[in-house]
Amino acid sequence: MTQPVIQVRNLVKVYNKGGGAEVHALRDVSLEIARGAFVGIIGASGSGKSSLMNILGCLDKPTSGTVFLDGVDIGGLGDEALARVRNRKIGFVFQSFNLLPRTNALENVELPLIYSDKPGASRLARLALESVGLGARIHHYPSELSGGEQQRVAIARALVNDPEIVFADEPTGNLDTRSSYEIMALFQNLNTQGRTIVLITHERDIAEHARRVIRIADGRIVEDVENTRPRDAEAGLNNLPAQEAAHVDR
Amino acid sequence: MSTARIAKTAFKGMGRNKVRTFLMMLGVVIGIVALTLVVSAAMGAQKRIMERVRKFGLDSLMVTAGGGQEMGRPSSGLPTTTLKIEDAQALKDEIRSVVDVAPFNRRSQSEIKFEEKSTTTGVFGVTPSWEPVWDWEAKKGEFITEDDMDDMARSAVIGETPRRELFGDDDPIGETVRIGTVPFEIKGIMQDKGTSPGGGDMDNRIYVPLSTFLRRVANVDYLWGIKIRLKSVNDIDQAAEAVAALLRERHKIAPGLPDDFTVRKPDEVKEMAENVAGTFNLFLIVVAGISLISGGVVVSNIMLISVNERRKEIGLRKAVGAGRRQILLQFLLESTVVTLAGGMIGFLLGAAGARLMQAVTKLPTSLSWQSAVLGIAFSAAVGLIAGLQPARRAAALEPVEALRS
Repeated sequence: MTQPVIQVRNLVKVYNKGGGAEVHALRDVSLEIARGAFVGIIGASGSGKSSLMNILGCLDKPTSGTVFLDGVDIGGLGDEALARVRNRKIGFVFQSFNLLPRTNALENVELPLIYSDKPGASRLARLALESVGLGARIHHYPSELSGGEQQRVAIARALVNDPEIVFADEPTGNLDTRSSYEIMALFQNLNTQGRTIVLITHERDIAEHARRVIRIADGRIVEDVENTRPRDAEAGLNNLPAQEAAHVDR
Repeated sequence: MSTARIAKTAFKGMGRNKVRTFLMMLGVVIGIVALTLVVSAAMGAQKRIMERVRKFGLDSLMVTAGGGQEMGRPSSGLPTTTLKIEDAQALKDEIRSVVDVAPFNRRSQSEIKFEEKSTTTGVFGVTPSWEPVWDWEAKKGEFITEDDMDDMARSAVIGETPRRELFGDDDPIGETVRIGTVPFEIKGIMQDKGTSPGGGDMDNRIYVPLSTFLRRVANVDYLWGIKIRLKSVNDIDQAAEAVAALLRERHKIAPGLPDDFTVRKPDEVKEMAENVAGTFNLFLIVVAGISLISGGVVVSNIMLISVNERRKEIGLRKAVGAGRRQILLQFLLESTVVTLAGGMIGFLLGAAGARLMQAVTKLPTSLSWQSAVLGIAFSAAVGLIAGLQPARRAAALEPVEALRS
């Protein structure tokens, strides 16, 4: 087996809430994620799953412990180097989409390319939008798109720099059932093409779309299982009762 | 590569929030308008000063009676009586670089009358050489002649200001005016000259033959001053020394004693003219500068608010790979581009305003590419300085913190 894309050892994260109060978000977490994996991390709110994602995604630094990302110890990197890692190796998908308002889909997707030297930004962004099925809406503004469509723009943005890993933090949290299935189908499709995906959610049925499910509680991994029979989002979509054509959910 | 993309981002950011951009620009526009107006007025004044100095003549010297600080007013308060018409002749004959001399005496604030009307004006007793020495001629009729001098004629050449006061639209030539009690026949009208280096009205004068003036108007035998025309501008320093030496010798002033006359060079005349106009400009430039600074404070405040409002955007940009330097650059560019545009708009409005001001107030204004460059460079500097603190704050935001909200 090749080197894991993520290797975490004895990760601890403590927040100082002021007045001496400390919150132990992560207590001694160790795990490995293989290249090409689709991992669902599940946990209640406050379980530490978001802290874990922020650290793995180089958005935050651990209190102690080591994180190897694609073979690199990110604990030894400065702010600018971490920014480069986020730019080149990581794609983020957030619960609230985080698209820039008054900025069309194409420009939103181009955003990561502003901070890299890749030529042909607009062509790459267009390809990414086509790959999430939004080739016809590239000049639409976020306010003109449904929630599902906005999240697909965000996924295109996460993919545009061809990252090693995609982190998705509650990507379906703001979406209706149908859009949720559509988004999960997209992730499964990306994973089949070889993309490593780390999905964070508090909903078990969403997590069951992944091929490995890790459960976190009180800052510790309490369950880590291979999901031999992941849910098929495509099938779930087909089983939904026929819906009125318009599902504008904003 | 990436810098060009960030610049593009900064431009787009401006377009996306037009109200914010407009407000930021407004302060700078007002500041630059004020600065442009003041600078163009100052440069106009400077230009006018140079014109006045040119009126004095760049190849000329002025000798005035008395060694005091002020022209023609000795410190004792009594008139100096030692400068004579023979001195003028000697200067012309004995100093090689002197082309011609114009000896004169004058009485300021004299009443002159025509029929029932009267006005107050300066009375100048001059010789025919006044015309070539000053480059100044009668525009109508003729100037004082040698015959007038010899005959002690009661003829006069009137300046534009008293002519307007006494005659209005009528032709004054051939009419008789009274200077004090002495009647003079007007034989010519002097060319308009405008304002003197000292700020006086050079057209508020009436000229009579020097001989007549000394005998009938003032009843003295000395001069107020001698204007000297030189061969070339290069002779000035040397000629000034020669004039002083000759006059000291003629007035028998022992070594060590002060001069009883003053020799004035064109650069001193320039200094005097600058003193009249200078202080007021500096004050206005300071005021305009302050308005530009307050424009900068507005920019800084709006940028700070904007950084706060855009925490999420900044967090997102960092999450997708923007480093501190790139965020800093983006926000600095935003503030600088806005103020730069404000500077350009401000300069154009200021230039239009200067034209308007000149048309309405008749104050001279002068615009140049230097003042455009200065104004625009200043506004860019304001943007850079005002944007620095907000941009640093934006750059220092932690991506997690910014994304939370």
